[in-house]
Amino acid sequence: MRAIRLLITVVAVLGLALTASVSAADLCATDALDRNVCLPEPADRVASLSPGATELLFSAGAGDSVVAVSAWSDYPPPAAELPQVGDSNRLDLETIVGLEPDLVVAWTDGNSRAQLDRLADLGVPVFWLAPRKFEDIARAVEILGRLTGHMPVAERAAADFRTGISALRAKYRDSAPVRVFYQVWGQPLMTINGDELISKAITLCGGTNVFADLPRLVPRISVETVLAADPEVIVTAGRGDSDHDWLARWQNYPSVTAVARGNLSLVSPSLLQRPTFRMLEGARELCDILEQARARL
Amino acid sequence: MPVSDIFRPLVMLALVGLAAILVSVSVGSADLGPGDTLSVLAGGGSELHRTLILDLRLPRTLSAFATGGLLAVAGALMQVLLRNPLADPYVLGLSGGAAVGALLAMLAGAAGFLISGSAFAGAMLATLLVFGLAHGSGSWTPSRLLLTGVVVAAGWGAMITLILAMSPASRLPGMLYWLMGDLSHAGQPWPGLAVLILVCLLVFPLGRSLNVLARGSLQAAALGVSVRSLEWLIYLVASLLTATAVTMAGAVGFVGLVVPHMLRLALGNDQRMILPACALAGGTLLVLADTLARVVIAPEQLPVGVITALIGVPTFLYLLYRSR
Repeated sequence: MRAIRLLITVVAVLGLALTASVSAADLCATDALDRNVCLPEPADRVASLSPGATELLFSAGAGDSVVAVSAWSDYPPPAAELPQVGDSNRLDLETIVGLEPDLVVAWTDGNSRAQLDRLADLGVPVFWLAPRKFEDIARAVEILGRLTGHMPVAERAAADFRTGISALRAKYRDSAPVRVFYQVWGQPLMTINGDELISKAITLCGGTNVFADLPRLVPRISVETVLAADPEVIVTAGRGDSDHDWLARWQNYPSVTAVARGNLSLVSPSLLQRPTFRMLEGARELCDILEQARARL
Repeated sequence: MPVSDIFRPLVMLALVGLAAILVSVSVGSADLGPGDTLSVLAGGGSELHRTLILDLRLPRTLSAFATGGLLAVAGALMQVLLRNPLADPYVLGLSGGAAVGALLAMLAGAAGFLISGSAFAGAMLATLLVFGLAHGSGSWTPSRLLLTGVVVAAGWGAMITLILAMSPASRLPGMLYWLMGDLSHAGQPWPGLAVLILVCLLVFPLGRSLNVLARGSLQAAALGVSVRSLEWLIYLVASLLTATAVTMAGAVGFVGLVVPHMLRLALGNDQRMILPACALAGGTLLVLADTLARVVIAPEQLPVGVITALIGVPTFLYLLYRSR
């Protein structure tokens, strides 16, 4: 009985606290962890804890408000000049706190929950992102625009992105389907399943990811599995120069349709790897590749 | 022990090994019936089936056999050399040196031959380092060799952790798979098989001396064995075996520790029999483990080191329990 009364009290107090904070602030948004993050005023000191978040902040027009970024934040070029606060999975909390950010943007793939919960405990507002769909990217930019007071820029950018994606979808809706194997990494051999955004870009271009049904997001597979799946196109972005080896290796297996028809292609490494607005450009490139591949089938 | 008593178990083990190889080439994530496999092995079959079996499965299976055999023989030799049942091929830090070499190559963005070459160089460096430090001046004992090796191994371990901590996230999966032992990047099996066969032929005549040495160096010296040179020979041979194995498949654990013990419990402790038996049984174990690694969650792949530990630990415990 006492436990129940205690529970009711706690719930009531929590509810009061929640309504209080919501009503006190006009800037609230729900993040990818379903947490309601509220700011007293638009943030103008933002720490971005992943390269993807940095790109989205710049797209939202908040580039000037970013005071710190994680390592490998190399796009857009001004981001590379900003002070770094460690690799996304090993952050330097001390430096972050020392920069006195009024908003921290985190990424569920990469940042450590434990580390960022420490930040939240210190009273720093943490907003988590986890874009899984094209629409998530557009929405993330709008939310970041609102939280940093750059709504018009962010809305315009998001609208452009949405228009670009729908244009691609309309263009390739009736194209002949092609079976695509997307190689994420050569050694060990890794691909992506249907939940990954790159796979959604393949679908957008009228392609079918041959490994869409595998259970894990980035499964590790064998050459044998690729041969059995017999893709019509093999695409890799990888890491730049050594990718030619990764593609050249497939020349040993002429029984694969993609090899027989010369459909081994490289996409620009930087465009598809991060769920940001640059994906639109990457998707256009991918669609061109698939369109050329169709002509060779 | 008469020679025929040595050969009978070896023939049995060889037959089991052959059966394991046949099983390994006939299963995989691509669905091939036993009929398809047989027709490919007989020289027929479709182009895809020939590629799957002859270009993909067979080299990998033979690499697994060579790696397992090399590690088991190296483990047996180390256990004789150090007179310590817990010795395995990696106890003196050889896999650590190889790992540092391979990981540095991966960090620099190298691929293929550069990684295995760098691993072999690291293994040889580790061997020479321990040899030089343990040799030193003054008296030399197996326990001094063991201590030197263990401390050097700890140093390599620290360097591995440092490299992993400094590496960008995208490089980590490849590095971790290498550290766990993985046969997907094994190239041609022939160098490994050649080393394995050569070493087995080389150590067979040394079997009697090794039997005596296993009882203690004083006893061996009293019986006319040139202990110091024999021990260094064992050290160098075991190092060469281990370096060849880790170059092919990374640091596959457990085979080198468990296989010699299993065979001793089953066959007795005659090195003339144990060493070739280790080559056969170690190879068979790794072939079966790699087959499981390929098919357990097919089409996804596991690193073979996980499977060797999962099979090895309970088998070993069972044998120990039974032998009380």
